[in-house]
Amino acid sequence: MLSIQNLTKTYSSGVRALRGISLEIPQGMFGLLGPNGAGKSTLMKILATLLEPDNGSAQLDGLNLVTQKDETRKILGYLPQEFGVYPKMPAIDLLDHLAIMKGITNRRERKETVDGLLQQTNLWDNRKKALGGYSGGMKQRFGIAQALLANPKLIIVDEPTAGLDPAERNRFLNLLSGIGRNVVVILSTHIVEDVRELCSRMAIISQGQLLLEGAPSQAIEALKGHVWKKIVATDAGREALEKDLHVISTHLVGGLHEVRVYAAGSPGADFVPAEADLEDVYFFNLTATERN
Amino acid sequence: MLWTFFWFELKLRFRSISTYIFFFIPFMMMFFFVSVEDFGPIGPGKVLLNGPYALLQGFSQLTGFGSLLIAAIFGPAILRDFQQDTYSLIFTKPVSKLAYLGGKWAASFVATIFVFSGLVLGGIVGTFMPWADKTRMVPIQLWSYLQPFFSLTAVNIFFLGALFFGVAALSRRIVVVYLQGVAVLALYLILAISVIATNKLDRFWPSIVDPLGLIFVQSITRYWTVVERNSKHLDWTGVFLYNRLLWIGVGIVALAITYLLFPMSAEALAGRRANRKAKQAAEAEEQEKGIRPRAVTQLPVVNQIFSSGTTWLQFASMTRIRLQNILREIPFWAIAILMMIFCAINGAFAGEVNGVKVWPVTYLMLNVLQGGGFLFLYIVAALYAGELIWRERDVRFNQIHDALPLRDWTDWFSKFAALAIAELLLLTIILLVGVVMQVVAGYFNFELGHYLKELYLIGFTQFAMIILLALFVHTVVGNKFVGHAIVIGFTILIPVLYRYGIENRLLLFGEITPYTYSDMNGYGHFVWALFWITLYWLFVGSLLGVVAILLARRGTETSWIVRLKLLRERFPRLAVLAALFLAFSVATGSWFFYNTHIRNEFRTTKNNREVQAEYERRHKKNERLPQPKVTAIDINVDIFPERRSFQAVGHYTLINRTDKPIDEIHLTESRESIDEVRFDRPFHNTLSDKKHFYEIYKLEQPLQPGESMRMDFRASYTSKGFKDGNERAELAYNGTFFDRDYFPTIGYDQNIELDEPVRRRDEKLGELEELAPPGDPFYSNVSLFSPDSEWVTYHTVVSTSSDQLAIAPGYLKHDWVENGRRYFDYDMGDTRIDKFFSYLSGRFEVKRDAWNDVKLEIYYTPGHEFNLDKMMESAKAGLDYYGKNFGPYQFKQYRVLEYPRYRTFAQSFPNTVPFSEEIGFIERLKKSDDLDLLYFVNAHELAHQWWGHQLVGSLTQGSNMMSETLAEYSALKVMEKKYGEENIRKYLKYELDRYLRGRAGETRHEPPLSLVQREPYVWYQKGALVMYALSDYIGEDKLNAALRGFLEKNRYATGPYPDTRGFVAAMRGATPPELQYLITDMFESIVLYENKAVSATVTPEAGNKYRVMLKVDTKKHKSDGSGNETPMELNDLIEVGVFSGTKEHLKPLHMEKQWFKTQESTVEFVVDEKPTFAGIDPYNKLIDRDPTDNLIAVEEK
Repeated sequence: MLSIQNLTKTYSSGVRALRGISLEIPQGMFGLLGPNGAGKSTLMKILATLLEPDNGSAQLDGLNLVTQKDETRKILGYLPQEFGVYPKMPAIDLLDHLAIMKGITNRRERKETVDGLLQQTNLWDNRKKALGGYSGGMKQRFGIAQALLANPKLIIVDEPTAGLDPAERNRFLNLLSGIGRNVVVILSTHIVEDVRELCSRMAIISQGQLLLEGAPSQAIEALKGHVWKKIVATDAGREALEKDLHVISTHLVGGLHEVRVYAAGSPGADFVPAEADLEDVYFFNLTATERN
Repeated sequence: MLWTFFWFELKLRFRSISTYIFFFIPFMMMFFFVSVEDFGPIGPGKVLLNGPYALLQGFSQLTGFGSLLIAAIFGPAILRDFQQDTYSLIFTKPVSKLAYLGGKWAASFVATIFVFSGLVLGGIVGTFMPWADKTRMVPIQLWSYLQPFFSLTAVNIFFLGALFFGVAALSRRIVVVYLQGVAVLALYLILAISVIATNKLDRFWPSIVDPLGLIFVQSITRYWTVVERNSKHLDWTGVFLYNRLLWIGVGIVALAITYLLFPMSAEALAGRRANRKAKQAAEAEEQEKGIRPRAVTQLPVVNQIFSSGTTWLQFASMTRIRLQNILREIPFWAIAILMMIFCAINGAFAGEVNGVKVWPVTYLMLNVLQGGGFLFLYIVAALYAGELIWRERDVRFNQIHDALPLRDWTDWFSKFAALAIAELLLLTIILLVGVVMQVVAGYFNFELGHYLKELYLIGFTQFAMIILLALFVHTVVGNKFVGHAIVIGFTILIPVLYRYGIENRLLLFGEITPYTYSDMNGYGHFVWALFWITLYWLFVGSLLGVVAILLARRGTETSWIVRLKLLRERFPRLAVLAALFLAFSVATGSWFFYNTHIRNEFRTTKNNREVQAEYERRHKKNERLPQPKVTAIDINVDIFPERRSFQAVGHYTLINRTDKPIDEIHLTESRESIDEVRFDRPFHNTLSDKKHFYEIYKLEQPLQPGESMRMDFRASYTSKGFKDGNERAELAYNGTFFDRDYFPTIGYDQNIELDEPVRRRDEKLGELEELAPPGDPFYSNVSLFSPDSEWVTYHTVVSTSSDQLAIAPGYLKHDWVENGRRYFDYDMGDTRIDKFFSYLSGRFEVKRDAWNDVKLEIYYTPGHEFNLDKMMESAKAGLDYYGKNFGPYQFKQYRVLEYPRYRTFAQSFPNTVPFSEEIGFIERLKKSDDLDLLYFVNAHELAHQWWGHQLVGSLTQGSNMMSETLAEYSALKVMEKKYGEENIRKYLKYELDRYLRGRAGETRHEPPLSLVQREPYVWYQKGALVMYALSDYIGEDKLNAALRGFLEKNRYATGPYPDTRGFVAAMRGATPPELQYLITDMFESIVLYENKAVSATVTPEAGNKYRVMLKVDTKKHKSDGSGNETPMELNDLIEVGVFSGTKEHLKPLHMEKQWFKTQESTVEFVVDEKPTFAGIDPYNKLIDRDPTDNLIAVEEK
């Protein structure tokens, strides 16, 4: 159980990235949802020992992630949102090097792990190729391979599916869920679907604040019967609705606007009830704070 | 369209900060060139610092090195589009090739012109700086700035810009763009060095093909005198014009080729390289399609172990990765290959010292290897320190890397280790190149131990310090380029600080004490200072390393607040280490300080000059004080080579030769080695100014005219610990060599005075006082070489350690061993000598021979047997020639002794000639016409036994020529007998070159030969030329007879001593009336000819005869001391000749001397063989401003 208490972080530029976040994260996949700039990456960097919080604490089974950085790094698997590699180095060499860094000193064990991970991530056939020649997806999978080295107890993956094609994404999520049962896996994303498919629990943050925390199913349940939708033809019509109602989201459907609205009862005659989904939960929470 | 590209590119350039930084570099360089006299190439003297010559030098050198800037501006113009992938946008539009290339090139050209206009502005601004030397400034003459700017700088920018632009456009590789400037400059410097190092006199072709100008500027201006340097510009004629036209042509061709070959389509441009990455990725993708996702299985459970063993493994792996990062990059290998080329070419010149061929012994090889290679190691250290510190951030691997369970110091230290290994690799390459070049030169005594010590022990530790410094700077500074600037600035700063008086090496980061390796003495006494200062800097560097680790960036936030917080977190773990390094730094530094400042007095160069100046200020008033003269010397000297010390007890006999009683004895003690002085009568000390080398003793009973007295003294020198440089070269474990300066000198000594005008001005001294003119009543009675003595009897007993031999002038009476020391008793007997003696001690082998009843001995170091036979031969030939022509040799022995190369001269003491190991002992003659300097120098020193030890002039102007010029002439004759006239003529051409360059570099004024004071180029080079020519004009026998007569008349003179009035008269006496003008020209004036062969044609005649018509141009000028010339009327006998054969090996067909009265004349000869060359003064017997145009190829009519 990872317990985060009241984490705050203000950058020297004055940006208040975290404004007192508290979270309890159990073992298993935990989804961290939020728009760009919500503070997801800041939170994850703090947990990955790369950033110093101004206040607050983060404890994993008695280990203080903020003060015991060296210990934390030993049990950590981290995939940053954006990363590069040494371009001239073959994948297997770099992974072997990282395995040594993570304390896998036994040569045979190290080989097994490295080989296993390369196979798991489907990089085995390209293991001797220089990383500079990898495609975006392959590089991303290499990233996950290195994050899984040495059976980490805390895995932090920041926006791992950004830039992956659907097939890649699928493969990647499969891999992650397979591993992430007995350890804490924090997955940050702004793609709601990732969370719905994978995570038993989730949190939504925006502007450095926690908006919602819980199981996705519960969150959906809470919205049940309060989501309504309506097709509008023009922008003007859409804007008119936004004035009066709590609009959760608008989608283009066949060139027309489908507007989804939160309301305790039917907001109007031409609205029909809609099945609430996780996306509604997400946008409801975001728009709710905006309205406040 | 062209305008669009032009303006776009130009705007880009002028919006970029780099353009202004680039502008700043030439600006500052020229600014300092002009405003600080010893920053630039001109140095002290009378050449105006903002005059045409100084500016020409500044422009040519800075433009030459500015090639790097030209490459840096032109190179990226095209490449930028490819790096940023904008080319695909541009080339899908209808763009004309001319517009694209032309616009970019023209904009780059304008930007570069702007950058280099910094030279003009810097030079102008520098003129007005308050600290600039106003006496060496003239009001701004704009043409002096613009002329070199347009003719050198702008032309260079044009063609180099065209070349660099073309290469970059056609290769489109960043490595090429970065390195082409360096490569061009490097190759160019090699060319320049090889031209200058080989001392080529004929620079026509090198000057024409010289792209950057260093060679042709030097070739054209090398003989310019001060007056010319302050008034003349480079004319657009001759070599200079051809050169500029050639390179403008090259530029145009380069532009044309670029235009023709540049492909104008995105597809072709993307080419195999730019697209390679994308293709690779696509291939990989393709491969993947077949692969199915494997079932997710449990990963094997592993054990994480974090022990010290793991730390070591992490360190090793990290180091390996970082090393691969360096070694897998092309730039590293480009640098390594460039370094190899440099080292190899330098190595080929290892066997050449000042134009003389020598064996490429390991210390010489190492010397040139360091010159060729160490700059590259420095570049690698400075450059890759930045790369390694920023590597993870640059490739964006830092977030993964920083979150690894890796100790901060493991990470940091792996960077040091990787860089250190890379440097060791380069050092090993240098070693291999050195050995290979020795093999190529046919030298097989590799002395690997010396290589290892020099490269790995001394060289490597120095680079380790640079690495530590650079890593520290790059860790602390938040920007890679600022970091580089600081590191480079720092290394420039250190010599500047040193120049401005901060010579304490404890304060100059990474500076180690100077040392010289010697075959005789190894690293000798330099070892300890070197050891401690190296240790000190390594500890200081390590301390910097710890601080750097404490401050190292980790994580994504790098503000100082965060870094200081990290520092606090890290400190406890590293505190012990930091304290340890601090303590070691303090300890080693203190020990160094104790030795260099407390056990020994610390003196900067400036301090030493101040003492010299103060000596002059305080005591020059005593210069003409009547003092007694030394007539007898007896000294017991005990040398302790292993302690670099000696002790001496001795006495002089002094005689009052004046007509008044003398009651004060003044002593100069320039080596601070006099412990005690006593006289044979009551006396007391009235002045003891030991700090300024001076003491005065008052005799209670004055020394009466004609009376003699005994003066006893004790002298010693004790080496204590070590010094911060400035170790006394006279004392060595093997190879002690000190002279009379360690014993008392009576009276004031002019030799201590500062003679450099600028230094005198610094010390607020007036102009250096000229030597007294010949005939000066006081100085006519003072000996040139020993002002405080007349001819003396000399006896000495010298002892040394049991494994060494000790030598002083005199015949060995007996030698014995006592208390484990060896004693030698030398006595000169009745033969009186100059008060000019030396003591040597070393582990010598002795080679013995004899000439008639003269014993010949060479004391040499085992291993230096190369030329002993030749030295003997030279001595015998000299004894023979001088004996026959000048008079008998006064001694029964002649000894040559080797001493360490801390000093590099040979010096003639009575029957004893110390000879530096570097000159002669390792000389090597390959071709028969190589200059045999050893033979010459030995003959020269031997000749001093006549000219200097029999004939001594008075201490007046000109006298030195009666020693040096005559020794030079005598040696030339001995050399001529062995090697033939042709060889001598070749040698004299170099003498002429050196004379003309010597007078061009004169900082005071050039005297005529008969009034020479302190100008070696006059008494050696001009003297040799003049005497050799005179013997040609009046005949060797006649000249030698005159010399013999002069010597006989003045041998062992005791005052008045002879001077050049008598000498010139003797020369006149031997010269026929019609040639008297020669004596006036040669000895009493500065006369320069400008003889030139204008054309030569040949017409065959009946009977296999050939008629040659030679048109010549003859001018003669008289110059004053500053180089102002006035034409002289011509009525001169000059040699003309016709030759067959090649220019290198001329075979004279007909030679004769003819009288010339007009500037233009035509001479005709008929010869029996078909001629190839004809000319006037073809052998350069006369002093000719341009010796290269005297000969011309004969054309058929």
